[in-house]
Amino acid sequence: MPLWAVDGDIEASLRKVREGIEEGRFPARAFNDQTLFDLEQERLFSRAWCFLAHETEIPSPGDYVTRFIGNNNIIVARDEAGEIHANLNMCRHRGNVMCKSEMGNASHFRCSYHGWTYKNSGELIGVPYMKEGYQGHLKRKDWPLVRVRTDTYGGLIFGCLDPEAPSLEDYLGGFQFYLDFYLKQGMEGSEVHGPPDHWVADTDWKICAENFAGDGYHTPVAHQFGFNLGYFPSTGATHSQGWAASIPGRGHGIGLGHSPDLPPFAGFPDDLQAQMREAFTEDQVEVFSKVRTAVGTVFPNLSFLMQPFSIIPGEPGVRFVTMRLYHPIGPGRMEMYSWCLVPKTASQEYKDEAYRAYTLAFGQAGTFEQDDFENWTKLTGSAASTMAKDMDFPYFMGLESERDPTFPGPGHVVTPYVNDTNFRTLWGRWADYLTGEV
Amino acid sequence: MWTRQVDRETVQDIADFLYREALALDERRFRDWLDFLAEDIRYEVPVRVTRESMAEWELAPTSRIFDDTKATLEIRVRRLETDFAWAEQPPSRTRHFVTNVLADPIEGVENELLVSSNVFIYRSRGNEPNPSLYSLFRKDTIRRVGEGFELARRWAALDQSLINAHNMSIFI
Repeated sequence: MPLWAVDGDIEASLRKVREGIEEGRFPARAFNDQTLFDLEQERLFSRAWCFLAHETEIPSPGDYVTRFIGNNNIIVARDEAGEIHANLNMCRHRGNVMCKSEMGNASHFRCSYHGWTYKNSGELIGVPYMKEGYQGHLKRKDWPLVRVRTDTYGGLIFGCLDPEAPSLEDYLGGFQFYLDFYLKQGMEGSEVHGPPDHWVADTDWKICAENFAGDGYHTPVAHQFGFNLGYFPSTGATHSQGWAASIPGRGHGIGLGHSPDLPPFAGFPDDLQAQMREAFTEDQVEVFSKVRTAVGTVFPNLSFLMQPFSIIPGEPGVRFVTMRLYHPIGPGRMEMYSWCLVPKTASQEYKDEAYRAYTLAFGQAGTFEQDDFENWTKLTGSAASTMAKDMDFPYFMGLESERDPTFPGPGHVVTPYVNDTNFRTLWGRWADYLTGEV
Repeated sequence: MWTRQVDRETVQDIADFLYREALALDERRFRDWLDFLAEDIRYEVPVRVTRESMAEWELAPTSRIFDDTKATLEIRVRRLETDFAWAEQPPSRTRHFVTNVLADPIEGVENELLVSSNVFIYRSRGNEPNPSLYSLFRKDTIRRVGEGFELARRWAALDQSLINAHNMSIFI
């Protein structure tokens, strides 16, 4: 009996999918299906905390970017007092798009249709012909832009469309411990190097989220050229070493690859290493100093990767950090946003070198990214085939793995790095939202 | 009023150079293509952002899709020569259409010209009937070396800000 019966009872099918995940099975069809896409929009993206922007993208009063939560276009702006606001990018009068740019600076937004004008905080301040037309029946305070609840962690701005949802802190549920590795590079944390690469792909957002939740398994094959050209400070023989950490009931997961011979914090300049040792807790230093690759997903669709990398194999390298957002725009189709995060306190030279490493490896023309998207696009296409609706994939790698009791980081932590445990946690949470458990 | 500053024959030679460079790419002779590039080449494709018309910039000053040197371009070619460049297996069929070639002198630099051109790239993959199409503007620096030329800088800006392709495993 297939887990996902496309023509059957949806709620019953979803419950079966939920049960199957615990047993190590997940339906192929999940990666390209109109019904599931619609359910994700209604039940997941309308209720989860979703990433909007990094604070350093809007550093000054008036700065804004436009982003999406589900299919809602959101203006994320910093007001004159420095407070961050998120509002639906839709005029309350007839629904025109207020802000047609991806980024900019404005103290207020004026609709190009009838001229309703809002402060960048969302407050309605101007209505043409207010007296003559509305004759006192319209109160400006009743018609602000539709506000989106926001909260931040470590420079990340999240939005949530559900006013009843628990706090961001509760939502992250301890994953902050691992996020700090990306977000606290040095005493003043991390910043974006510039606006993100932005492209569309016939790829389902979920396969990206899964891969970055710690798919150490794909690396030796999907990125075999990297081993071939000498890019990896690990070999095929040691590649499986490391940990998979996930937060049960929250869905977040991170893979922490370990290379026995790699010096602690290799790739970071000495002064940054010293700063990080100070910025991190003892437990974080204990964990992070042993990590080569750190690749993690914040449920549902935000991911990070930190990787030591030499632009020319064999030469001294840097550590680059990429942050990516997978924005679903249809079944099996997405927009990709990809940033590079650099340490604020690093030298400009180090930042630029880390950025160049990022562009060679990731971003749309990145040599590693290229192969990932080729594989992901192909598998997304396969998932829509009629035979795939009766097909499950094996997700039972590491099903018997015992939690590592000595590991100082939070969550469910197992070894080796090559493991499906994080994916079961991820899809378990996804199914919780779709079945209405959350 | 416009007056000619670079003689017609030089402009034509430069256009030939660009066509032959494009041919090397389209015929997937990537080693030959590297020979068109100067040892000190800077190869840059900036990220475009949709902005208001008054905005200070549309091409991000610090974000690049490609930010390469000769050494990293050689690495990209070496990668394509392995059996594991899955993104180009089977390879993309590309056609670079180079038009509107203009050459201008660079003040104080004797042997280099600023060369702008429009480029349209058709990219077909597998049996996918819908090709990827890229329209872009190049502003290259082309250096005269003896009787010939080499590319000292490639700067190319795509017209799309949201790029319609799952990856960019081709050269621009």
